[in-house]
Amino acid sequence: CKKSLDLQPISDATVDNSYNTATQAEAALAGAYNTFVSSDYYIWDNTFTSDVRSDNYYAGGDNPDFFQYDNLRLTATNSKVYGDWSNLYNGILKANTVIQRVPEITDPGLTDSRKTQIVGEAKFLRAYHYFQLVKNWGGVPLVLVPVSTTEPSDINTPRASVDEVYNQIITDLTDAVAALPDTYGGDASVNKARATKGAANALLAKVYAQKPDHDYSKVLTYTNAVINSPAGYTLVSYSDLFDGNHYNNAESILEAQFNGTTIGNWSPSLLLPPSITNTTWRKFITPSKDLAKAFDDEGDVVRKNQTMIFEQAPWVDEYWSATVNGRVPFPYKQRNLTNGNSTSRQYMLRLGDVILLKAEALNALGRTDEAATQVNIIRKRAGLGNTPATTQADMALAIEKERRLELAQEGQRWDDLVRYGRAETVMNSLNETNLVTGQKVNYNMTKEKELLPIPQTERNRNPALTQNPGY
Amino acid sequence: QNITVKGTVKDSRGESLPGVSVKVKDSNAGAATDVNGAFSISTGANSTLVFSYLGFATQEQPVSGRTDINVVLAENNRQLNEVVVVGYGTQRKGDITGAVSVIGKKELDQRPNTQIGNLIEGKTAGVQVLAPSGSPSASLSIKIRGTNTITGSTDPLYVIDGVPAQDTRSLNPADIETISVLKDASSAAIYGSQGSNGVVLITTKRGTTAKPKVDFSAYAGISTVRKKLDVLNAEQYRQLVTELGYSTDWTQYTANNDWQDEIFRNGASQNYQLAVSGKTEGTNYYISGGWTQQKGVIENSLMQRANFKVNLDQKVNNWFTVGTNVAYTRYNDVSITDNTNVNGGGVVLGALTTPPNIGIFNANGTYTSNPFQQWENPLASIYGSTRPYKNQRLLGNVYGEIKFTPELKFRSSLGIDYINAVNDYFLDPYLTSYGRQNNGIARNETNLTNYWTSDNTLTYNKIIGKHNFTVLGGFIAQKYRYENTYIQTTGFSGNTIPTTNAGSVIGSAYNNKSERFNNSVIGRVNYDYAGKYLLTANFRADASSVFGNNTRWGYFPSVSAGWRISEENFMKDITAINDLKLRAGFGVVGNDRLSGSVYSYLGQVSSGANYIIGGNVIPGTYPSTIQNRNLKWEETQQTNIGIDLTILNNRLTFSADAYIKDTKDLLLGYPVPRSTGYDVVSKNVGKLRNKGLEFMVSSRNIQGDNFTWNTDFNISFNRNNVIDLVGQQFFSNTISGRSEISLVREQQPLGVFYGYVYAGVDPQTGNALYLNNAGEKTSSPSADDRRIIGNPNPDFIYGLTNTFSYKNFSLNIFLQGSQGNDIFNASRIETEGMTGPQNQSTAVLRRWTAPGQETDIPRASVNNTDNSRISTRFVENGSYLRVKTATLSYNFPKAIASKLKLGSIRVYATGENLLTFTKYSGYDPEVNAFTSSGGLATNGGFGIDYGTYPQTRNLIFGLNASF
Repeated sequence: CKKSLDLQPISDATVDNSYNTATQAEAALAGAYNTFVSSDYYIWDNTFTSDVRSDNYYAGGDNPDFFQYDNLRLTATNSKVYGDWSNLYNGILKANTVIQRVPEITDPGLTDSRKTQIVGEAKFLRAYHYFQLVKNWGGVPLVLVPVSTTEPSDINTPRASVDEVYNQIITDLTDAVAALPDTYGGDASVNKARATKGAANALLAKVYAQKPDHDYSKVLTYTNAVINSPAGYTLVSYSDLFDGNHYNNAESILEAQFNGTTIGNWSPSLLLPPSITNTTWRKFITPSKDLAKAFDDEGDVVRKNQTMIFEQAPWVDEYWSATVNGRVPFPYKQRNLTNGNSTSRQYMLRLGDVILLKAEALNALGRTDEAATQVNIIRKRAGLGNTPATTQADMALAIEKERRLELAQEGQRWDDLVRYGRAETVMNSLNETNLVTGQKVNYNMTKEKELLPIPQTERNRNPALTQNPGY
Repeated sequence: QNITVKGTVKDSRGESLPGVSVKVKDSNAGAATDVNGAFSISTGANSTLVFSYLGFATQEQPVSGRTDINVVLAENNRQLNEVVVVGYGTQRKGDITGAVSVIGKKELDQRPNTQIGNLIEGKTAGVQVLAPSGSPSASLSIKIRGTNTITGSTDPLYVIDGVPAQDTRSLNPADIETISVLKDASSAAIYGSQGSNGVVLITTKRGTTAKPKVDFSAYAGISTVRKKLDVLNAEQYRQLVTELGYSTDWTQYTANNDWQDEIFRNGASQNYQLAVSGKTEGTNYYISGGWTQQKGVIENSLMQRANFKVNLDQKVNNWFTVGTNVAYTRYNDVSITDNTNVNGGGVVLGALTTPPNIGIFNANGTYTSNPFQQWENPLASIYGSTRPYKNQRLLGNVYGEIKFTPELKFRSSLGIDYINAVNDYFLDPYLTSYGRQNNGIARNETNLTNYWTSDNTLTYNKIIGKHNFTVLGGFIAQKYRYENTYIQTTGFSGNTIPTTNAGSVIGSAYNNKSERFNNSVIGRVNYDYAGKYLLTANFRADASSVFGNNTRWGYFPSVSAGWRISEENFMKDITAINDLKLRAGFGVVGNDRLSGSVYSYLGQVSSGANYIIGGNVIPGTYPSTIQNRNLKWEETQQTNIGIDLTILNNRLTFSADAYIKDTKDLLLGYPVPRSTGYDVVSKNVGKLRNKGLEFMVSSRNIQGDNFTWNTDFNISFNRNNVIDLVGQQFFSNTISGRSEISLVREQQPLGVFYGYVYAGVDPQTGNALYLNNAGEKTSSPSADDRRIIGNPNPDFIYGLTNTFSYKNFSLNIFLQGSQGNDIFNASRIETEGMTGPQNQSTAVLRRWTAPGQETDIPRASVNNTDNSRISTRFVENGSYLRVKTATLSYNFPKAIASKLKLGSIRVYATGENLLTFTKYSGYDPEVNAFTSSGGLATNGGFGIDYGTYPQTRNLIFGLNASF
């Protein structure tokens, strides 16, 4: 009778029998990486939080929640804000589980060095997610071990300060740099799928730059570590980056891996033009006139053509065409599509970004000439001449513009504007006119809008959370 | 000189009557009949014996020297003698001390029914029937005495001929003889672990006559929607979306159709039932077969059910009986997506919000969609895919019963419920844009439920003088096993093969199995003294596999007592009162039905979080539940007091009950902060209270030879309150783009509506204004300005049945209603919101368009929901009174019937939902958009209209014949 009552799950495992062997350790780690390919945040929401919110793209589609990003009218009840928060913390739970469980595994099949690596990879992932959280929401609850009880006192974690979150990210990344190898051998499809020393260094560079008290000497150290990495990161032709035939290329430091079938990227089917998607409805993201103009002003044909594709749209676009069948641009950086699913990837980290960060650090440290050298490496690849900027102030703006053109649709723009302290200026001086109403769009950007609201649903669940100012 | 007189006492049907008082007139000597109705008494040869028994006319028999006297007592109150099925046995209604309602043949025959829920609705106090939609495939849910769980199922336990079952949609109402509803804890406690929501005992028909009896019944009917809603026509739509900033080549879109005309049709139903039954020496049999079909009022919606049933009892000898009850059902349906907006494929909101301009088909034969977004037109949602659902079910038991002595019997029964349900889906690769994008989608899902129960009980019944004891003890073991498989493929070369094998890409494929086991010990004592003082005590100890070692066992006692005051000597002379009984009971019942996984307490690790490394898909795992070893039984304590009164020569019966039901340690799907990485955990949290009053009146107003008029009325008041939720509050049921509408909060009833207070339209800007907490009107309130804006819980619900019969005609009118409940009309958010290229209702013709304009509808604002927030603007009075059914029937006179070689023949016409009195502006006030979602959404989310398939008006003609 007792035996009949002691039923174990048939189709699930339990915490007691899931973290005992080498294979199980790898499975828990794969589960942690899975957040990159399964969560809305990394599939496409980060494009909304960064590119759509900024001057790069407009929102489209049918969900009013998306338009709140575009119009800078975000509310605490926005379902995407809540969904993204949840996605990221679920990723953190999976990383925390690996960090807690794997060191306790005694299976001789799991070597100490692999054990250390696994924990390093998980710490990298945890840092990656916390970096998304801190730059979007400011100080957030720091949860570093999986909860094991459901007592409100244990789970209603209050917000840590911005500094505390950044310090934790830096601690995790420093551990990761020590634990991770430069490569896992010669196979790029392994080395770009997993966290490496190069990935940890690149993220450290981004973190030190984005911190409110930017530490540019550290940025320089870590960008150099990436650029000089034995992994041999090198720039590839700009079109190779996005044509869908050069996944895991030499410029890629880390990229989310899709096969288009069992693990597919569904966002391109919602973004690509009718000729590719074979659908005639309005897509969810549209490149802005301001972005197109930025390319044109620079004469930047190479990158513009990889970033957007113009096509006749059988609808009215309030910014591009007041009549149907006008020419409208579509986001084009992820363009492989079959059966609604795609193999297209977003770079989690790539060298082009790192080189421009290095330029930014050099310029900030007063080494503007050296900064110009780095910027010109990127410009040359895009078929452009040297930057005309010479003063430190001009160079800062030149780098900002270069990053915009280089990294559009890659979830970087908002962070850049905030980091440069330019979000208010740029957004409020935008000259966007709604062709249908004839009205100029007023973004009413304020300092407070740099951060997203803490999701109302999360605050309902956790009364210890305070709201960000302005919401 | 004294002689010994022996004999038996029976009723008019030949059933022996135990416990009949046998007294010697004008003396103190007396005896009582035993369980077989036999008595023996020593008395004078010329004395007179007085036989008296509750519910029967007292009879005097002069002994006149006889030593053998057999008596047949005539009933004078049928109701009290009615044998009521209670848990693991039967009781005379007069002896019941708990709160039990019986729905018998009289009520069951009043209207044609397709579901158990229809039978119960409005027929008894304390029971609320909720329809999530008017679709023929909608499963009705039943609440007994309010909701006493926040995330668990509110459905009562259904026990069909002794076999517990969950899904009642596939049961055939035509086979049902009686339904007993056990409402209070003292009656339900014998079902301990599963009785917390009350118990519905269903007994199917058996043979009643020696001559084989053949019953045939058939009906056919049509159904229509009660009303249509007014939406914009093509020109008005074009103006609106132009104002919103949309434009297209309008010369392509020249149609002007009201999509409601396209999706609604006249529904049709038909039903045929044939049964043969009889009772011969030692054998009782009932064999039936039937077929039912309902075509819904929305295109393509369909329900069909074919069933057969065999009930057989065989007395092998005078101490051994075996029997079986077996039912096989084949149920299939085609459902329509409702209760969601057009973006989610909702057909009803699709009909209201799809542009009238676009026509049904494009020139190339594909379905049209909204020119500004991908939303399919509602006919594409209906016909773009095939969605057959098939369910085959075998439900039944075999039993053996051994009588060791007349007093002591043992019964062993093995019951099974085996359900195989298959959901198929095929989205055509050409007809719809989503289909074209995926080159077709096929899905196949199979759900297998395998349940068995083994019940072993020993019953001892002893009458000693006026003391009547029944003792029951037993062991019960139950096991559930669920298996689920699912596969989805895409990439079809055409539409000739609709099954998953023809798809070239396997999108997902999975398989899941789980099990649960319950082990129980039960005990019960019934005692009565002279039918005057009644006592019932129950005990059940239950172990459930869903809890860990230390918390596995739950103990559920109950006790109830009755005092039949009318049997007291001091009442004997008050002839106006035929029966008066007071009842009181207290009991504890439990609940182990978790809303999440049955292994929740363990801390589960799930698979499928895979990742690609080196081009290979690496299997990935992730923690899916927080371990909670303290998870334990949820407990409901219920106190019930009641009174039963029969007066005026048994013509007026009245009964009233009052109850308080406290549930603690609720088994909650508890929403945790997402910063834990989890969403919902299973946890014992909180306290909930339901208290209420129930009244039932049954009156035989006129009892003439040719004309009779009977009235039955019931009314129930339930008050629900969340006592404790450890300071948390839970929100649920998201209205697209506008956050959640339902709230569960301490000191409030479940499922109150939460939102802004609407304060009209700003004449200058046309923006909607809302009151903030400071009482000021603002167009940009903060989330904290929201408050409770409505309550979907009714003040009371009621049912009134009047039956008139004149000669062979009979007219039955059944009114049913709900008072004081609010409805949140989220459909109006979709049809008056003016945020996108959806068509809207004609209310938006009043929209604000120019400064200074005073109106009640704010201006159109594209992609911005500020003017259509969840607010008091969409809260409506949901009270209604409706003529649920009216049936006119005619019984052919015997002479005609026998000429047709029939024993009896009856024809009838029934109208359902003929008239509805309500102020509610939607299709129908019976709306519960989220009640089929399960968990928090269900219990916190009734009374929401979000494009609900409306209840229909039905006209049915039928025939019953028997020979």
